[in-house]
Amino acid sequence: MKNYIVKLLAMVCCITVISCEAYLDEDPIGLITQNQINTEPTAASITSTVNSTYQLLSSTLNIVGQWNWDDGTVTRNDFLLQDIASGDMQKKWNPDGDQAWMDEIAAFNFTSMNPGFNGIWSYNYEGISRANQAISTLNNEEVMSSVQMDAATKDRLLGEVYVLRAFYYFDLVNNFGGVPLLTEPLEDFADAYDVANRNSAEEVWTQINKDLQEAVTLLPAQKYSSSSEPWRVSLGAALAMQAKVALFQENWSEVINKVNELQAHNFYSLDDHYFDPFDVSKEYQENEVIFSYNHVSGVNPARGNGLAALMGWGFVAPTDDFVNAFEENDPRLGYTVQIDEQQPNKLLGSTDGNYKGNEDSPGNKVYIRYADVLLWKAEALIQTGEVEEGLQIVDQIRTRARNTQMVDGSSTPSDALPNYAGTGMSQAEALQALRHERRVELGFESQRFNDLKRWGIAEEVLSDLGKNYKDFNNLYPIPQGEIDRSGGQIEQNTGY
Amino acid sequence: MKTKNSISGLLFLWAICAGSVAYAQTITGTISDDQGPLPGVSVIEKGTDNGSVSDFNGNYEINVSNENATLLFSYIGFETQEIPLQGENSIDVIMQASMDQLDELVIVGYTSQRESTITGAVSSVNVEQLESRRVPGVTQALQGQVAGVTITQSTGAPGEDVEVRIRGNGTIGNNNPLYIIDGVPSREISFLNPSDIKSMSVLKDAAAASIYGSRAAGGVIVIETKSGTGRSGIQIDYFGGIQKAANLPNMLNAEQYLNTVTTAWNNAGYAGTNPYLADSGRSDFADVDYLDELFELGETHSLQLSTSGGSEKTNFFLSAGYYGQDGIVVYDNDRFSRLNLRSNINSNITERFKIGANVQISYQEQDQISSRGDAPGIIRHAFLRPPIIPVFKDPSDPTYSEEDPFTDLPFYVDPDNFESNKYEYSQNPIALAYFTDNTTETFKTFGNLFAEYDLLSDSSLKFKTNFGADINFGHQKAFNPNFGDDDGQGSEIDRGLGRQNRPTSLAESRYQDMTFTWNNSFIYNKTFGDHEISALAGIEFIKNNSSGINASRQRFDFTEPNFRYLDFGGTDRDLWNGGLAEEWALFSYFGSATYSYEDKYLLTANLRADASSRFSEDNRWGYFPSVSAGWAISKEEFMSDVDWLSQLKLRASWGELGNQEIPNYAYLTLYRRDADRYLISRYGNPDLKWETTAQSNIGIDFGIDNNKLSGSIDYFEKTTSDILLPISLPQLVGDVSATFLNSGEVSNSGLEFGLSYRNYDNLLKFQISGNFATLKNEVNSLHPNLPYITGNVTRTQAGHPLNAYYGFVQEGIYQNEAEVAEHLSGTTNPPQQPGDIKFKDLDGNGIINDNDRDFIGNPNPKLSYGLNVSMNYKAFDFNFLFQGVGGVDRYNDLKKIIDYDTRPFNYTDRVLGAWDGEGSTNSIPRVSFTDNGSSKVSDIFVEDASYLRLKNVELGYTFDVENIGNFRLYASGQNLLTFTDYSGLDPESTDLIDFGTYPQSVTVLFGVSANF
Repeated sequence: MKNYIVKLLAMVCCITVISCEAYLDEDPIGLITQNQINTEPTAASITSTVNSTYQLLSSTLNIVGQWNWDDGTVTRNDFLLQDIASGDMQKKWNPDGDQAWMDEIAAFNFTSMNPGFNGIWSYNYEGISRANQAISTLNNEEVMSSVQMDAATKDRLLGEVYVLRAFYYFDLVNNFGGVPLLTEPLEDFADAYDVANRNSAEEVWTQINKDLQEAVTLLPAQKYSSSSEPWRVSLGAALAMQAKVALFQENWSEVINKVNELQAHNFYSLDDHYFDPFDVSKEYQENEVIFSYNHVSGVNPARGNGLAALMGWGFVAPTDDFVNAFEENDPRLGYTVQIDEQQPNKLLGSTDGNYKGNEDSPGNKVYIRYADVLLWKAEALIQTGEVEEGLQIVDQIRTRARNTQMVDGSSTPSDALPNYAGTGMSQAEALQALRHERRVELGFESQRFNDLKRWGIAEEVLSDLGKNYKDFNNLYPIPQGEIDRSGGQIEQNTGY
Repeated sequence: MKTKNSISGLLFLWAICAGSVAYAQTITGTISDDQGPLPGVSVIEKGTDNGSVSDFNGNYEINVSNENATLLFSYIGFETQEIPLQGENSIDVIMQASMDQLDELVIVGYTSQRESTITGAVSSVNVEQLESRRVPGVTQALQGQVAGVTITQSTGAPGEDVEVRIRGNGTIGNNNPLYIIDGVPSREISFLNPSDIKSMSVLKDAAAASIYGSRAAGGVIVIETKSGTGRSGIQIDYFGGIQKAANLPNMLNAEQYLNTVTTAWNNAGYAGTNPYLADSGRSDFADVDYLDELFELGETHSLQLSTSGGSEKTNFFLSAGYYGQDGIVVYDNDRFSRLNLRSNINSNITERFKIGANVQISYQEQDQISSRGDAPGIIRHAFLRPPIIPVFKDPSDPTYSEEDPFTDLPFYVDPDNFESNKYEYSQNPIALAYFTDNTTETFKTFGNLFAEYDLLSDSSLKFKTNFGADINFGHQKAFNPNFGDDDGQGSEIDRGLGRQNRPTSLAESRYQDMTFTWNNSFIYNKTFGDHEISALAGIEFIKNNSSGINASRQRFDFTEPNFRYLDFGGTDRDLWNGGLAEEWALFSYFGSATYSYEDKYLLTANLRADASSRFSEDNRWGYFPSVSAGWAISKEEFMSDVDWLSQLKLRASWGELGNQEIPNYAYLTLYRRDADRYLISRYGNPDLKWETTAQSNIGIDFGIDNNKLSGSIDYFEKTTSDILLPISLPQLVGDVSATFLNSGEVSNSGLEFGLSYRNYDNLLKFQISGNFATLKNEVNSLHPNLPYITGNVTRTQAGHPLNAYYGFVQEGIYQNEAEVAEHLSGTTNPPQQPGDIKFKDLDGNGIINDNDRDFIGNPNPKLSYGLNVSMNYKAFDFNFLFQGVGGVDRYNDLKKIIDYDTRPFNYTDRVLGAWDGEGSTNSIPRVSFTDNGSSKVSDIFVEDASYLRLKNVELGYTFDVENIGNFRLYASGQNLLTFTDYSGLDPESTDLIDFGTYPQSVTVLFGVSANF
């Protein structure tokens, strides 16, 4: 009896040890590891990678994080770092203590801990990380040879992501100066620290030029890269980006060359109506928009414009200084923002208040349109002494505005916005006129702060507006959290 | 077979004896103790095999061989009595509780130990005192009872979580203790009925807890449920009572509110006519006290039935209970109820073989409202809602409907013209409470089955196998009916619906979660003269499987309760479903050895080896050793003259504990699907291993005057290292989740003091016990790439406590323009106005920005204490409990939003003391819709949340009704008095940020208990 029990016990113990330890090695349920995804890429998965690279251009809320206001990642913060910082826009119609970190940027009283910088940083780098993934697959001949994808599609997709990567780096280098340059997907954890070192601004610019040059050779010579998907990056966008890069480097002849090259394709012209590039009902049926993000309502995952939700909460308002910058009877003011109704029409994509407060609204975000491109050329011409020729271009812009009826439907007086050409302006006056024109034509389109910095007048203009702007503010601080996460490897910009 | 044989053998033997001996006399009698008849007492004629047992009524009968025989009466837990017959035929015996009981058995890891031989920091809980607490759960009852154990109820809402911390927060991750109930581990004990508990020990230090290894870093609470006694009886206990919200602040009335917002508008410097001034005297304005509207009286009922009984071989304990609470918010969508049924049975199959089972089934149902937090935060919105807005719409309002009579957007006219901006986006809290339908049901089976066998005839070596099961089925259902006003928004298909819950939706989920535990151990215990050795060795296997499914639909045609099922939701779009499973396993070896010499010199060593499926194969095993030693000075020769000192023992211990409470498989690199491809969502860390907590403890136990006064003092230091920290990569690598690394160190140290005095000598019997504990919490280090962890208002950084509050420091209020200009000399055009908050310029550069922030508070209580007094005078008994914490801060976000906010929400009457001109005040800023400084996280909102609370008081009266039973009537009150400087609703909240939580209420209860 006793023997029997002891044997039983011994058996029980052995069974426990042997059978139970095996349970420690169960495969994890529902966790996707390398084992599951060792499948070859397909045409669909590659296209999908490319498409997702666009997402970081969008104003859809919470692309990175979830309602993480304190991390600055609820929206892409262009409206804050460009329009509010430059004094064209203010946070709210009735300024209050809500999201006070935005006020710090508006007043230039911020430190590197302000979440606004974190937002733009993480959006751009997430875009770059997706682009790198796509580029590395598309350039992998071994992989591509096993994928059912024709060469034209492959070239087009590659061209698209090159432009997108260039755009994200362009935004980074303008905001932060030289940043870590990543051009390949990360292999493992430790790599993250190897790459967390700042490159020089020149190296970043070189990469941007290289990517755009590649894109120009790859993209098809047609207005829309894909007629069924007109939202894709086109050859026009690549050329325009090249012109914009030249503009920011003050390479005036190159600006003129690139714009000429673009114009030679005859893809774009000024729309008859100033509001057409923004009007939701005219998207991809007008002539002016060159590069935009296509917001779509009611799809899953969400691809709507979420900035409209903020407008519902009273965000996005003009400053008096901005409103006063418009000449009398300039219809563009009403299309940019309707003060009585508290409607930033341009950003809503409608003039009747539709979409305000709707976090899933369809209005596209316009990054480059032909009017902007024309003004680059005008600027380059004026800078190179071709003052009259430059002013004629400015007048094209003014004429179009003059020919647009006021937002309330009344006609614009014919003496509004008189032409500049032939009035005998000096180069300095012409430049002044051009700067004014850019401000009112492109108001709320997130161009102003970059323009002020380019023109070297940021301190003068912003101090007049009562902002605490100092010279070193021409670069924003690298987000403190990013420096911390790199273990202090990433160096801060001077002044912060 | 063997059993039957031995019983029949005995009977046969007894028959022979009875029949063959010439002299035979039958002795009868009744055996009782101070509570009545005592069954199961063994009666033996001394020096013979002749014996008997008392029956259920305590009566016995024994035939003795001679008239001078001596009878031995013995029963576990009582003094054995020897009574010579001296010719008597009838002997009644009153049994006395054994003096050895003073040295009670304390349950520790996997076994029990005599209290006097314990060398670790183990607190044995006075279970009787727990029962008089009249609270739903065991953890609430534990509040204030044990030094070094802090218990906080997260909110006062029925059925809410309770946070238990043993010796503070040791880590950045999970700090919850481990519960062992009848040998079965659990991470929570809300299902347990407090009156089913027989004993409970808190294993505080590493020496006591290391036998539970990798799960013990947060401390261990070991619980044993009741088992049957020989005496059968039925016990019924009912109590019921009412609850009321207390300590509510005074909110402004309509007139005060309008005046205040009028001023705020003026102070903001907006252009145009003041809309609030224009609104004064409007006839459609109401004057509502939303707090009054929101809170009502709550109700509690509890009914417990239990019975126990048995014979010498088998005994049972059965109990059934119901506990129900309907909270203090209107419309009764805040409720909690629990039904439980327990059956504990033990049986000695043979003298050496014992089996038993303790099984509980329980059902819990919680109707939950949004009791805390920001959105929707029913309690918070009751504070925010302007008093001028009526609760209900006027029936003449075109948007009025019987289904939704509540106001929403104030003074709604049409979608393009409402005045919500003027009275801001507060929601109607009464409507929120009314439309809430969120129910969680849990069905649980928890219990164990064990068998014990004495391998050696002297009972020195035992084998025990224990199989435990913790089986949970849960069901959660939240129906969100559409209500409120149409604000002209929402997606195309939902245009025209009200803005709340647009569109109507139902989300439902069901899950099952099963944990099986099987342990096998050898327990050895033997005394060789003055040497006593006990040892334990075992293996344990724990396996958890959980899985769940969930689904939701939107757009319901009918919203009546009988159509709140998935089938009736729209099928065109927005149908969701999901399902997932998880599993983990833990396999362990453990051992323990204790040596004691004359009960004077004591030494214990433990070792556990755990292998967890949560870690990669190479880092799977963790080893957790501990040693402890004790010296009972009072038992030394040289102390024998010191009569007044009944006990004095020194203890010291050291050991290591682990923590594995991280997500499963945190070491793996994971991918996520993004459209048609897979992206890395987290980089893995194959080197991930255990978090280790090393703890040292020294302590003294003492007893004076026969332990009338007894107490213990402990000092501990515990250091948690290799903390499982989620480290984010630089964002430049893209959007990936944080990787877990072992890094960082947190230390806690503290002094614990427990003292108890009892005097039962007089008619007035009383016992006073008190405890207090100090705690110092500090983060020693984090990770080079994580210099600090930032929360919304906190910062965890080396050299400071965990989650220390971090923000700006108020210096005063700007009294005039000159002061603004002087203080902000480095700022161009400072927007600050006189009346705004003046923050300290810590770096002295004339600019107030992020660099002027500092550590402004500590949310970890430095001191916790409790005082329990119970008295007994004749039939009356009385007890009360004071409990409190000290040296703790809390961030009162509610204060920010109801005293200083820059939106037109309602305010408390504190705002009437706001700055309104030079010299008026230097503490409360001007009211304004522009930022008066209150948007910054600052020490203005960090308040001392120390409190002292009369947690419980109870008065009882006991009486007998002959032939029926014994009754006790009682009245009890909870939270009757609170002393605190905290201006929020409840100082007792676990939230780091108090957004306005559901407060704990003042409770008055009446009850009766009866024993039959």
